[in-house]
Amino acid sequence: MLNLTIKCMQFNLFEKGRRSPWPFAKMLLVMKLTAMLMLIVSLHVSAGGFAQKIQLNLRNASVVEAVREIQNQTGYAFLYTRDDLRGLDKLNLSISSRSIETVLNKCFTGLPLDYVVEKAEKVVILKRKTALGPLNRIRHLFQQPTVHGLVVDTAGLPLPGVSVMVKDQTSIGTSTDINGRYSLQVPENATLIFSMVGFQEQQIPVNGRTEINIVLEGSTSQLGDVVVVAFGKQKKEEVVGAVTTINPAELKVPSSNLTTALAGRLAGVIAYQRSGEPGQDNADFFIRGVTTFGYKKDPLILIDGIELTATDLARLQPDDVASFSIMKDATATALYGARGANGVILITTKEGKEGKAAITVRLENSISTPTRDVELADPITYMRLHNEAVLTRDPLGILPYSDQKIENTIQGVNPYVFPVTDWKKELFKDYTMNQRVNMNVSGGGSVARYYVAGSFNQDNGVLKVDQRNNFNNNIDLKSYTLRSNVNVNLTPITEMVIRLSGSFDDYTGPIDGGAGLYRKVMRTNPVMFPAYYPVDEEHRYVQHTLFGNFEDGRYLNPYADMVRGYMNYSRTNLGAQLEFKQNLSFLTEGLKARALMNTSRYVYFDVTRAYNPFYYHAGSYDKVNNTYRLQLFNEDTGTEYLNYQPGAKTVNSSFYLESALNYDRTFADKHTLSGLLVFMLRSSLTGNAEDLQQSLPFRNVGLAGRATYSYDNRYFAEFNFGYNGSERFHHTHRYGFFPSAGLAWSVSNEAFWEPLKQAVPSLRLRGTYGLVGNDAIGDGRFLYLSNVNMNDSGRGGVFGTDNGYSRDGISLSRYADPNITWETAAKTNIGLEMNLFDQIDIQADYFTEHRTNILMQRTATPATMGLLAQPHANIGEVKGKGIDFSIDYNKAFQNSFWLQGRVNFTYATSKYLVYEEPAYDEAPWKLHVGFPVGQQWGYIAERLFVDDEEALKSPRQNFGEYGGGDIKFHDVNGDGQITALDQVPIGYPTTPEIVYGFGFSVGYRAFDLSAFFQGLARESFWIDASATAPFVAYHYNDAEANSGIIYQNALLQAYANDHWSEENRNLYALWPRLSSTNNNNNSQRSTWFMRDGLFLRLKSVELGYNLPPAVAQRLKVKTLRLYASGTNLMTWSKFKLWDVEMAGNGLGYPIQKVYNLGLLVSF
Amino acid sequence: MKIIKKISLTVLLGASAFSCNNFLEIVPDNIATIEHAFNMRSTAERFLFTCYSYIPALGSLSGNPAHTAGDEFWLPQDNGTPAWQIARGNQNVVNSYMNYWQGNQGAKDLYEGIRQCNIFLDNIERVPDMTREEKDRWTAEAKFLKGYYHFWLTRMYGPIAIIRENIPVAAGADKVYPARAPVSECFDYAVELMDESLAHLPDRIETEVSEMGRITKTIALSMKAYVLVTAASPLFNGNSDYAGYQDPQGTNLFDIASFDPSKWERALAACREAVEQAEAMGHRLYTFRPEFFQYEISDTIRTQMSIRNAVAEKWNQEIIWGNTLSLSQSIQADATPRGLDPTQTANSATRGLMAPPLKIAELFYTDKGLPITADNTWAYGDRYNLKIANTEDRLHIKEGYTTVRLHYNREPRFYASLGFDGGIWYGQGRFNDKENLFFVSSKKGQPATAQNLTAYSVTGYWPKKLVNFNNVIGSGSSYTIQSYPFPMIRLADLYLLYAEALNEVHGPGAEVFNYLNLVRERAGIPNVENSWTLYSNSPGKIASKEGMREIIQQERLIELAFEGQRYWDLRRWKKAGEELNKPIVGWDLIQEDAPSYYRPKVIFQQKFSTRDYFWPLPESELLSNKKMNQNPGW
Repeated sequence: MLNLTIKCMQFNLFEKGRRSPWPFAKMLLVMKLTAMLMLIVSLHVSAGGFAQKIQLNLRNASVVEAVREIQNQTGYAFLYTRDDLRGLDKLNLSISSRSIETVLNKCFTGLPLDYVVEKAEKVVILKRKTALGPLNRIRHLFQQPTVHGLVVDTAGLPLPGVSVMVKDQTSIGTSTDINGRYSLQVPENATLIFSMVGFQEQQIPVNGRTEINIVLEGSTSQLGDVVVVAFGKQKKEEVVGAVTTINPAELKVPSSNLTTALAGRLAGVIAYQRSGEPGQDNADFFIRGVTTFGYKKDPLILIDGIELTATDLARLQPDDVASFSIMKDATATALYGARGANGVILITTKEGKEGKAAITVRLENSISTPTRDVELADPITYMRLHNEAVLTRDPLGILPYSDQKIENTIQGVNPYVFPVTDWKKELFKDYTMNQRVNMNVSGGGSVARYYVAGSFNQDNGVLKVDQRNNFNNNIDLKSYTLRSNVNVNLTPITEMVIRLSGSFDDYTGPIDGGAGLYRKVMRTNPVMFPAYYPVDEEHRYVQHTLFGNFEDGRYLNPYADMVRGYMNYSRTNLGAQLEFKQNLSFLTEGLKARALMNTSRYVYFDVTRAYNPFYYHAGSYDKVNNTYRLQLFNEDTGTEYLNYQPGAKTVNSSFYLESALNYDRTFADKHTLSGLLVFMLRSSLTGNAEDLQQSLPFRNVGLAGRATYSYDNRYFAEFNFGYNGSERFHHTHRYGFFPSAGLAWSVSNEAFWEPLKQAVPSLRLRGTYGLVGNDAIGDGRFLYLSNVNMNDSGRGGVFGTDNGYSRDGISLSRYADPNITWETAAKTNIGLEMNLFDQIDIQADYFTEHRTNILMQRTATPATMGLLAQPHANIGEVKGKGIDFSIDYNKAFQNSFWLQGRVNFTYATSKYLVYEEPAYDEAPWKLHVGFPVGQQWGYIAERLFVDDEEALKSPRQNFGEYGGGDIKFHDVNGDGQITALDQVPIGYPTTPEIVYGFGFSVGYRAFDLSAFFQGLARESFWIDASATAPFVAYHYNDAEANSGIIYQNALLQAYANDHWSEENRNLYALWPRLSSTNNNNNSQRSTWFMRDGLFLRLKSVELGYNLPPAVAQRLKVKTLRLYASGTNLMTWSKFKLWDVEMAGNGLGYPIQKVYNLGLLVSF
Repeated sequence: MKIIKKISLTVLLGASAFSCNNFLEIVPDNIATIEHAFNMRSTAERFLFTCYSYIPALGSLSGNPAHTAGDEFWLPQDNGTPAWQIARGNQNVVNSYMNYWQGNQGAKDLYEGIRQCNIFLDNIERVPDMTREEKDRWTAEAKFLKGYYHFWLTRMYGPIAIIRENIPVAAGADKVYPARAPVSECFDYAVELMDESLAHLPDRIETEVSEMGRITKTIALSMKAYVLVTAASPLFNGNSDYAGYQDPQGTNLFDIASFDPSKWERALAACREAVEQAEAMGHRLYTFRPEFFQYEISDTIRTQMSIRNAVAEKWNQEIIWGNTLSLSQSIQADATPRGLDPTQTANSATRGLMAPPLKIAELFYTDKGLPITADNTWAYGDRYNLKIANTEDRLHIKEGYTTVRLHYNREPRFYASLGFDGGIWYGQGRFNDKENLFFVSSKKGQPATAQNLTAYSVTGYWPKKLVNFNNVIGSGSSYTIQSYPFPMIRLADLYLLYAEALNEVHGPGAEVFNYLNLVRERAGIPNVENSWTLYSNSPGKIASKEGMREIIQQERLIELAFEGQRYWDLRRWKKAGEELNKPIVGWDLIQEDAPSYYRPKVIFQQKFSTRDYFWPLPESELLSNKKMNQNPGW
């Protein structure tokens, strides 16, 4: 008691200006400070007399308003907790009295409130009615022991806002503060219940302890949890559809790209990443695989209700995410009828919580380095094999390298005349450093709450920078995000939410981009010229770099291309959102309304600044003196100054409106009924469309609804529909109706389950069926209209003696067809949810899908029709099926040790049911029907031909010249020719059918360690036999082909080691007979270059340390976490040429391995 | 509070009440449709030009199968030109090269072109602001083009599907699959269209500055003659190789097994009409007589210029049809040897990769106007021996240069058409033939040798004829080219067709000699009677129809060399089986001295079989259209 009084003295804020401190108030203050009850103390010391007459005129006033009025008139201070006054009936009365007791009595008649008037101190204490009288209760509390402690999540982060209650005495409770700390006076032998949305509830008996620290496990098995569903929330136990939710913290990876974290972490998501280049490293992801071969295959992404792109998702900070859900089946997606067929990713961002400003700052610095580099052969081998490649095809061919050149190169006679250029080393560093900072502030009062977050990420490429330039040509991607979510209670029943968010990318980088440079390095000659020559006497005064080249400077010098300039791009996405939520319970109980307006602006532009390099070659070599003279190729076209080139500019604005009526009510404790009706409208406009049709606004309208009924928490039924219109279709086919329905049964809530409750606390079965639509079925707009280009220069004509009269032609890229309409998916889902021993959660779903009306080209149209464009029709049908499941294991041990494990698995496959193609009467293996989407057809490679003679005798292969050492294909139909009819389905689809992940987290006191493995299976890819063909000029696009620049593929070490040659006639060599030109025979899609995409990788590891609270306090921070993490540290795969996840894109910018150090502080 | 309630209700109801249909009705009424093309004369003109745009690009090395699909040019190993793959024996049914049926692998889509012509013909009458005369003229042009496209396909594929009317896009399966028509019917239909066009085509272009290159009556008559000569030629007349070949309907597609002399008579009449029309319109064989020229040049060079400029000078009086949609820009760079100007050997803009094989060099006559095998005054057996050029050779071969005897004492067309090691190359900046002219030197280490693997002559010859003499090779990578519309047909061609038809119908005679000699005179060689009777080892050859046929054929191959005619001529004469089974031979390029360099080296052994006379039908077309089957042998 003495101790407490001293404390009180120290903290008594009301000491000043007070004539005599009164003991009762003192006691209350102590109570406030120790029990952390959120008391709002409102003191108004009035100088006025006591016996004043009190006049109250209340019309539909809240109790708080009444109290304030009394306080104003009497000068009495009222002490109460806000919660006690919430949800009370409104007051409608008129009082006139001198006695405060009379007034209070009249006011609170019929309300569950006790009050005590301390006339001497001019204080009124208000309290909800409890078993104990208010004063007794307070006094009782005062005498009870205090328990305090810290609540953290499994990552060691303090959890604010965790509700701490005493079991069976729900009136006693508190919640943790912003530091995750709590303090509570509890009765003896009490059991504390710690609970929070998104975390598993824990019950801990106090057993006389005074400090209880708790780790709350975020898990997917939250019975009683709330799940974000389409246009609302449902209790986890009421959800009938297939929804995967993930604790956003699990998506935290040391990368500036959220999409790279998806693979293996979410049951039902097929994801993989093909490139590691900053800004270009979005993973591809599909929900439950790909079930269409139409235009749009990827899911709808909604962030706070707004349709956004994968790049917007990539820039999202996991720290800002409140919920992350994947909608997989028909009932979950039906409301998004227009775009829901490919699944929906639904994300909401955090909102502010009442309380003092809480600041969290995260700092990360990481080192990234390619997981695996493509290994190239040494230059001497390159020359020898290039000579071999020419001679083996044409014994009279002109050799590219003389013996003398090879010998001099080996001797290293002169590094500039006989150069050996390791282009990779010239261009790329071994590693690069990236930084990320993000912070958020949240807090607020009873009227308004805010959540403001900002982040800054800097990602650098692994390119070297030429110090002679004063600009940075390395990839430098700075991305910033800013988000502000403000909730305002306009009235107790009206809430306004304002969400503003911006995401900004500022990029500088090489003109070709990172992947472009990687590809260029793979296509240049290592012995023709160095990257640049040193300045010699003759060029002493030259200001520019003497870049190496050959033959008029038409050869590719990737180094010059890298350092000659830079590109800037800027990408901005701004969103402003206003939402009103109105409780309409005054109309009927359980009715709510909501309206949301959003506008987004997107801007992208790029500019390029570059000089034209001066190209030199070391010629006139004097063998005797070992000197050379530099010859300049392009005196006229080279520049020392930068030229400017404007690039692409994209501007886009979109508007979205959504309004909803929601009804939710429980009758007779057993019948729960809910309904939802949503109207939505979307319109967007592009500012720089390519043609008129693209320039017209993109629009959708829709009406969607949901009705649910549940009985006694055991039986659940749900019906959903979406009625959507899309401007893309002819008015006769404009609207689509997409209904769905589902049932669920919580078996474990049945009485007969009681005996099993101990082992299987929860078991639930669900099933759904329904239709969902997709209007993004073709890359054109208005597929029902023809698309005519009245100014097609490619189809024009020119006449006149001096070709003086020219007119563009007219062409057509689409014929009109009013019958084009919605693609529809009929989805079925059967799910099981189970909990075992309160430790293991299992959620498993089996699904099928029947996609119809897939738009496809009518392949049967013969060329003799002379059509300018192939007609399309809603013909295709695909059936998909698969399973996905997740298993979570959570266990906290008494000795501050906790363990968590999880497994996610997704298997999704598909098959064509209807696919228009020629009737392959004699070659049924060509038919698509029955095979998965993404299945590839190709030739069966038997082996390499032994010699030319065998090649001549074998069935004729119709793809260009071939002979000994080239790939021998199997004549499937036995007609003596290898034609397209001999193509059979080979390998797995190019999109993996299985994606899985598993991992664990363990924690002990301040330390925690987690590791996560991820893999995929049933995917095939092909080594690009043209892009990797040594010595060949390979062009990725027409622009390259027409540039006049001479490309020459590098030689992969693996090919140098293992290829067919006349000396080594290995019929199963990795690479066939060398050739200096592309061998069209060998580059046919065949089983020869087919590889299995199967891999398992250690996707991430994190070791964390949380500063003990005592130390943290001394450092004046609430929490501090230090962690080291790594991504893509190890990979197991049979494929060794490059990172297997890049699949056919192996010569691009490699996927990165990242080592990361992070710091998380909150104040 | 009430206000807020009201606001939210208003928003809710207002949004729901929004008229959804109007909201989605965003397409303006006047969005462009194909109908708009015929609402005005100016757009209809664009459509007419669109019909023109399908004319095969004869002036493009890669766009014209005749350049590289046969034996006229050989290319460096690395070259990917689709047509050349045919020459290398890689033609196939899967992804056929120069696929004009479907419009890929280097080819234009001619069935698409035909559809465009039909759309034009169906709609041109709707255009309100055009005169009757203009509508008639444009209709005639579209008809001619439609006929020309049918002819082009027939020449390639033999029997084809004739598209008289467009089949609607939404037509059912029973309508969209046409069968092929017998070859004769295909030729007849092409001729029918050309005939229909004659009435309303202008005799000649009035406003040349804006319309030169458009179809005239002279063009239509000339092409009609060409079509009928083709149809009368051995490949399509009396060719029993494909007898009995039927399509799935049992139609005999190659109805050409028996020889029909009336085809030649019809061709002769058409040739006569075309020659008369061309001459009436002022077309004459070209001779180099510039109104102003800075230098007094020798007759030797003047004759060369007459030969070269008959092709490479735009709109010279001999050109009946020049293709303004296919200018000879790039092909001239491909034809000009590198390092012609020895101060600019680093300039790689002159790619010089079109390489006529040795057999083309041997094809040209001797200076007596006779084949090298037939000339008594020319030592055929010594042709690969070396000889040093002396002063009288100075306008043909660099004085003091050692080269093979094959290059001596040849006809002017040899020197005008070919560049070779040691050969003088007039023009290209040096116009005074009394001073040193440029010459080609292509042995190892010399300017025109292979400096890289992609752009050099693999035989040691270049088609000088295609290069305008005014082109200038500059410094760096500059090559200024005087471009010309590639000749589709010129008067010499017509004369030789006429002579050929005359000989086939009437046998040798004064009229045959006359048209042959007109061409020979411009070429600077003796007339055919003198050459053969005075200098040849078979003086009687000109008296027989067969002998004369051979003479006319060689004359045609020489006169029209490198113009994309040899390929089709060898086929229609059924000579491809003989010529295209010979090896492609060139000189030993990687040698530095003359004795080693001048060793004929086999570069490639060409193969040609009966099936190769016709293109294979694309396999994908046959898979969908069951009324067609594959051409014989494929």
